[in-house]
Amino acid sequence: MKKTTLILSAIVLLGAGARAEDKIVIKGSDTLGAKMVPQQAEAYKQAGNAVTFEIAAEGSSTAFTNLLAGTADIGMSSRDIKSSEKDEFTAKGMEIREWIAGYDMIGVIVNEKNTVKELTLEQVEKIFTGEITDWSEVGGAAGEISVYTRNTSSGTYKSFQEMAMNKRDYGANTQKMAGNEQIASEVGKNANGIGYVGLAYVKADGIVPVKVDGVELDPKNSKTYPIARTLFFYSIKGKLSAAAEKFLVWATSDPAGTEIVEKVGFIKP
Amino acid sequence: MSQEAPAPAPDRRRNRRGAFPRKGFRVFGLGLQDFIRYFFGGNASFAIIVLLLICYFLAEQAFRFFPAHRQGLKIYREAGQEFVDQIKSELAAHSRLGGDLNIAYLSEVNASSQREDNLVRALQAVQTAVEDRTGHLSERLEDARETVEDLRDDLEDAAADPAKTAELQAALAQAEGRADALAPQWHGEAEAALDDPDIWRLDANPVKLTDAERVEIRDAVLRSEPGLDDVELPFFDALRKTSADKKAAAREGYAEFKTHLDALRGAARPLQSLSGDLVDIAAENRQRLDKFETAPARRRALLEGAEATMDPEERARKLKMAEEVVMEAPDYDALARPFYDQVAEHGKLAAQVRAAVVTAYEALPKPDDPAIRTPPGREKLRAAAADYAHLMETLTRVEKTLPKWRHDKPVSRTRGVLMFFAGRDWVTNSSWHDFYGLLPLLTGSFLISVLALVVAVPFSVASAIYVNQLAGRREQNLIKPAIEFIQAIPSIVLGFFGILVLGSFLREWSQGQLHVSPHGFVGSLPVIREIFTGICGFLNWVAQYVPGFPMSERLTMLNAGLLLAFMTVPTIFTLAEDALNNVPHSFTEASFALGASKLQTILRVVVPSSLSGIVAAVLLGFGRIIGETMVVLLVAGNKIQIPDFRAGLGVFAQPAHSMTGIIAQELGEVDQGSIHWRALFLVGMVLFTISLVTNFIAQRILAKYHVKA
Repeated sequence: MKKTTLILSAIVLLGAGARAEDKIVIKGSDTLGAKMVPQQAEAYKQAGNAVTFEIAAEGSSTAFTNLLAGTADIGMSSRDIKSSEKDEFTAKGMEIREWIAGYDMIGVIVNEKNTVKELTLEQVEKIFTGEITDWSEVGGAAGEISVYTRNTSSGTYKSFQEMAMNKRDYGANTQKMAGNEQIASEVGKNANGIGYVGLAYVKADGIVPVKVDGVELDPKNSKTYPIARTLFFYSIKGKLSAAAEKFLVWATSDPAGTEIVEKVGFIKP
Repeated sequence: MSQEAPAPAPDRRRNRRGAFPRKGFRVFGLGLQDFIRYFFGGNASFAIIVLLLICYFLAEQAFRFFPAHRQGLKIYREAGQEFVDQIKSELAAHSRLGGDLNIAYLSEVNASSQREDNLVRALQAVQTAVEDRTGHLSERLEDARETVEDLRDDLEDAAADPAKTAELQAALAQAEGRADALAPQWHGEAEAALDDPDIWRLDANPVKLTDAERVEIRDAVLRSEPGLDDVELPFFDALRKTSADKKAAAREGYAEFKTHLDALRGAARPLQSLSGDLVDIAAENRQRLDKFETAPARRRALLEGAEATMDPEERARKLKMAEEVVMEAPDYDALARPFYDQVAEHGKLAAQVRAAVVTAYEALPKPDDPAIRTPPGREKLRAAAADYAHLMETLTRVEKTLPKWRHDKPVSRTRGVLMFFAGRDWVTNSSWHDFYGLLPLLTGSFLISVLALVVAVPFSVASAIYVNQLAGRREQNLIKPAIEFIQAIPSIVLGFFGILVLGSFLREWSQGQLHVSPHGFVGSLPVIREIFTGICGFLNWVAQYVPGFPMSERLTMLNAGLLLAFMTVPTIFTLAEDALNNVPHSFTEASFALGASKLQTILRVVVPSSLSGIVAAVLLGFGRIIGETMVVLLVAGNKIQIPDFRAGLGVFAQPAHSMTGIIAQELGEVDQGSIHWRALFLVGMVLFTISLVTNFIAQRILAKYHVKA
């Protein structure tokens, strides 16, 4: 064990000595930059790649401004590029290249005994903000809705707020649960429950995901399902350094890289 | 009496040091026993120093919350969010009124087809239960049928290619064979499941099925084989149609209700759009102000970063970025202008809302209207009456306060403190504004503790009296260790017990659904099963009269309170028993000598003279309960809302959050030194103070009222 470490570090040192370390600057979305990309960068370095990373997560828009100014090699974005932004690149004679980093998709679940199997996004928003309080208001049997959400320290808490609730605050009647597992088990036992969980948990006992705006929760519907978004990397054609390109290929297609996507709760590309 | 001179009084000093022989090594004139003495003394003072340090740290971190909180409130005001939130409060009151009226309306309409709907729901419930029971088999059958479908499609596509067709045909035959083999198996299992009376328990569904309906449901379940689409179920299709017809008829009957309801709900639309516009402006303002607030720190960080880098190019870049940080103060007056401009508009729109709501509400039926037939309908109309009063109050209040709102009015110190201690909202990690109001957490903690004490005190004090005064030695030797053993159960284990066992039991009981499963151990013993069924029946009957029942949650204050009561019994029991033990024997002996019976002695002499100790025991028990974290976090339901006291005693059936729970839940991920972090420390400080005060009072009671021989 110790020997291997020694040899490994020797190789790394030698490799580093042979050529100056490549530096990859990644800027943009907070959704990607908070956990996923730093973890990928760490794993990438540990896999023996002699590169250093500079990661700044200040919002998706900064991905494009920095790419445009040449201050970033890779942009991270939790939305696809707007046409106005694309125009700016075209005006400067640059062509943008899109990489899918993963999908963020959240399922709204109800008890399997509930007759409501479909909700509109507006109804979801109203239920979680506490405006709709009874199942009869969305076509179910009468009964007060019990709303289960993640607690404030969870990333999903925030993502759901952004994607399904127009950034409005959760109603005071919501119950804050410690994790996906707990939400699934409470909704599975409470005929009047509703909650949201990551894709991996919708198969739990006693719960079913509802269709939102008529679209079923399924990875293949990631483009149309309303409480989902595609996460992107962006780069500029011809300007991407070999080291950065190697990292992007690794992060989007190597099993070691996409494993981290799943680990932080997204769906791999 | 002897005349011997009394022995000389022993030298106390020497005596104290005499525990260890005065020989051996000496360093700086200090011997072994001195070292041992200083070691123990040092440990004691170390503990005190650590305690003082903890107090200091807590207090220092916590009290720095107030300036930060005040600053936050200032920005909240300057950005105009305070202004917008007042309009939002009107809209919220309006939406609640509309919601309750709508639920009442729906309850009336749906009542017309209740039996049909319940029958359809019963079919679905039985179907789900059978599917669960036949899970594995039904999945396989469904897969097989799907494969058959797929192969048929492929076969059509491959009609031109004879080789492929033959291959597909073979595969198809095989798949069909598999499906045909599985179908009878599934039927067998499904029929067995349907023979089990447990499948037919419909939980909260009140429908009583006739035999004919049972046959229909059974038939429908068996016909809807897994993997078959569009199975025709004429009986249920007819039911659905009847239901729809009846509802349509009912809707006509309540057409007037609906018209007024829609008028009422639609009345706020212009105000909503005004609010929406202002929300966007305020959110933008907020961003601008936050950026200005953090600009000096960002600049400092960039300058420090420039200092630290060796690369001149990098340094120049960082310095340039630092230059670019916008340091100039935003124009507060300009930011607030849009709000002042809309005051008159708001006044107009709010008056419109009021007029429309008053007209519509007057025309709507009241709770005692004979046209309202369902109990939930009446209940919601009563709630609507309260909502209506609240809306009118809110409209009047905002009408008065909004024109007086000033973005530059300083936030007073008291307001900053009051917003914490008397704040009704605890909203964190918000995209709008974080509120730190203690009240919901405080009420949750107190309600749970009160319930736990009410349950625990009679049990623990009574058992203390019994063990101390009445029990024989063998009973004592059994009961005391048993009760004290409770303390050894880790609270996380109790928490799991609370979620899985107690919570589920309480919910089933509250819904009158307790029953003995025929598959369990008890169900297999004929006589005992009857006894348990009887007990369940009795409990189900009692449940109708328990306030707050039925409840749909299993994580509630009731659940947490009961578990905490259990946890605190040993504390109160042990301390109360000590207090009883401390009653001098001369008291009881005197009582017996005067001819009092055992019971008289206990009730009139022993308990009164140990009352101070018992009260102290209860207070210390309270301190234990209010500081308990794991159980409340897991079991209390974590709903950050002041419980609805209109429910009377039923308030305990609601979920709540607690002070300990919020710290455990949120401290993990907050930034150190942020206002949220300090708010949690302040909550900890409040908890600490409560415990300190209870302990202090307990000690005082003991010291003051302790009865000496």
